Amino acid sequence: MDKSENVVIDVRNVKKKFRIYYDRSATLKERILFQKRREYEDHWVLKGISFQVQKGEAIGLIGENGCGKSTTLKMLTKILYPDAGSIQMKGRVSSLIELGAGFHPDMSGLENIYTNASIFGLKREEIDRRLQEIIDFSELGAYIDNPVRTYSSGMYMRLAFAVAINVDADILLVDEILAVGDAAFQAKCFTKMQEIKKRGTTIVLVSHSLSQIEQICERSLWIEDGTVRMEGLPRDVHPHYMKYMFQKNHPEEVPETEEEEQTPAVGESGEDANRWGSREAIMDQAVILDSDGRKRSCFSPQESFTVHIDYSSKEEQANAVAGLAIYRSDQTYIYGTNTLIDTSQPITLKRKGSIDLRIDSLPVADGRYSIDLALHRPDGFNYDFWKNVCEIQILNNSQAPGIIFLPHHWEVH
Amino acid sequence: MSTLKEIWEYRTMIQSLVHRDLRGRYKASVLGFLWTFIVPLCQLLVYTMVFSVILKSNIEKYYLFLFVALIPWNFFSSCLTGGASCILQQQGMVNKIYFPREVIPISFVTGAFVNMLYCEIVVFAVSILSGVQFSLLSLLCLPVVMLVEFVLALGITMIVSAVDVYFRDLEHILGILSMAWMFMTPIMYDISIVPEKYVPLFYLNPMTSIVTAYRDILYHGTVPKLETLGMAAGVGLFFLILGFAIFGRLKRRFSEVM
Repeated sequence: MDKSENVVIDVRNVKKKFRIYYDRSATLKERILFQKRREYEDHWVLKGISFQVQKGEAIGLIGENGCGKSTTLKMLTKILYPDAGSIQMKGRVSSLIELGAGFHPDMSGLENIYTNASIFGLKREEIDRRLQEIIDFSELGAYIDNPVRTYSSGMYMRLAFAVAINVDADILLVDEILAVGDAAFQAKCFTKMQEIKKRGTTIVLVSHSLSQIEQICERSLWIEDGTVRMEGLPRDVHPHYMKYMFQKNHPEEVPETEEEEQTPAVGESGEDANRWGSREAIMDQAVILDSDGRKRSCFSPQESFTVHIDYSSKEEQANAVAGLAIYRSDQTYIYGTNTLIDTSQPITLKRKGSIDLRIDSLPVADGRYSIDLALHRPDGFNYDFWKNVCEIQILNNSQAPGIIFLPHHWEVH
Repeated sequence: MSTLKEIWEYRTMIQSLVHRDLRGRYKASVLGFLWTFIVPLCQLLVYTMVFSVILKSNIEKYYLFLFVALIPWNFFSSCLTGGASCILQQQGMVNKIYFPREVIPISFVTGAFVNMLYCEIVVFAVSILSGVQFSLLSLLCLPVVMLVEFVLALGITMIVSAVDVYFRDLEHILGILSMAWMFMTPIMYDISIVPEKYVPLFYLNPMTSIVTAYRDILYHGTVPKLETLGMAAGVGLFFLILGFAIFGRLKRRFSEVM
C-alpha cells in the first residue's frame, strides 16, 4: 500500500505504432488518384511496456537506436500518446529534451531566458525568482544583455541548459543532453543533476553513456524491440546489455551459449564469442587475488591486486607473450600492457605453469572494469585470447566525478 | 475545461511568444518598432494617391472608407493564411516539448491582433484628422467589435492550423479563398451597392457585419447595427467552440505527422 502511493510514474502495457507509408501520398490529387494504393505498414515501436517509478528514484533507459526508448520518453512528456495502455504521472513534469526552445537570435540572453522558461510552463514570478540562479549557472555574466546571435555555441548551450535545469520539477525527463559544453561545464551539470536528485526529484534518463546512468540511476531499464528486456540494478543489467551489443556487432563470431555464469569451459568444442586462438597454449583459469592471496573482485582504487593465470601448453613455447587489457563497463579502454612491452623479451611457456601480474593500484573512478587476457606470439598470432575473463569492481566512497581517481591530499592554510 | 485551465497556466508562454513575435519582427532593423506604424501609413498614402488621383471614386474620403475596413481585414486574412502554418512553423518545439498546443494559435492570433491595434491607432488619428465626428457611445462599441473579430479569427485559426498539419495544401487553398473572401466582403465597396436579394447572403459572412461595424464607428461616426454584430458574435463563438473541439482531437498526433 505504502509503496504504491509513492509511485509517481505508472506505465502500463503501453503500445505505440507508427505508420510507415511506402510512399506517402499527401496531396489531394494523389489521394484521389491512388485511393486504393494507400499502402502502409504499421510498425509497432512499443509492444507493451510496463514499469513504475517511485518518488525520488532515478531510472535509466538503455537500448540500441530505434528500440523505443526515446518514444517512451516522448510519451511520458505527452508529446506522443499511446495507442494502447495507460500512463499516469504525478506532479510537475519537466523535460530536458530540447534545449534553447524558442530562442530568438536577435533578443538578449535575458529576454530569451523568459521566453524559454515560459515554454517550460513557468510563470513570470517564478522566472523572476530563479533569474539570478539561471544567470549564475550559465556563467554568462555581463554577456547576458547581448543578443543571443553573438554567443558562441558553448555560451548558447550553457544558457539553454541553465534555464532547463532550473525549472523545478517533480519529475525530470532527460534525453542525451548531458553532453553539452566543455568538460568543466559537464561536470557542473552532472553535479547539478545529483543535487536535483537529492532534493527528491524523480529522474528518467535516456543515455547511451552507461557510466552516466550508473552514476545517477538506481535502476536500468533495457528496452529491446519495443519491450522491456531486462530491469534491475545498472551494474547487473549493463553487462548483459554490453554483451548483447557486442554479439550483435560481431555476428561473425559464434554467439555464446547460455551458461555464462560458469567459466566458459575450454573445451574442444570450438570458440565462443569471448575467446579465440589456436589453443596451442591455453589459460586454464584466471583469478583476481588480493594482497593476502584470497579471491576477491571488489577493490578500492589504491589497493593492489594480482591477476593469477594458470596455463597449460601442448609443448614448451619459448617465444610467447602474455598480455592484459582493462576496459570500463562502457568499453572505454583504460589500460593495456604485455610482457613484450614491459621487458622486450619473449617469455617461455612450460607445459604447465602459472603467471602472476601484480598491479599496485587501479586508480579509476567507481564502476565495473573487465579484464581481457591473452597468450600470443610476438607477431600477434593468438594462442588464446580471452575477453572479459574476469571483472573487477572499484569502489570508492567519494562522489568525485571524472574517469580516474587521483590520490590526493588537501591542505588548507 | 481542464484544457482551458492549462492554457491559463501557460499564459506567460503566450505573453512571451507574442512579445517575441512583435519585438523580434523588427529587432535587427534600424527603425525597429516604428515600422509597425510606417507600414500602414505608407499603405494609406498609396491608397490616397491612387483613389484620389487615378481611380476617382464617388465615395467621399474613399481612402478612409477603404482604410478603416482594410486594417481589420488584413488582421483576419493574416490569421487565415499565415495562421494555417503556425503549428508547422513551430514544429521544432511541438516535437520536443510538451505544452498545451493551443498556445501556438492563440499566440499567433494575439500577435496579429496586437499588431492591428497599433495600426488602429494610425486609423484613429487619420479619422480625427479627416474630421469624423465620433460619439462616445460609438467609440465604446469599438472594443466590442474588435473582440468579436478576435473570437472569430481565433476559432478559424484553430481549425486551419490543426488541419494544415495533416493536409498541407490547405495553405494554398486558403490563399485563394482569402482573396475571394475579401471581394465577397464589403471592403472596397459599400454594402448598399449589393443587390437587395443578395444582402442576406452577404450577412451570412460574419466579416460583413464586422467590417461594416468598423466602418460605422470610424468612418461614419455612428453606432454599428447591433443585431448583425450580434449575429457575427454568435458565428464567431460557434467557430471558437468548433475550433477548440477540432484542435483538441487533432493535436494528439501532431508530432507523428510532422
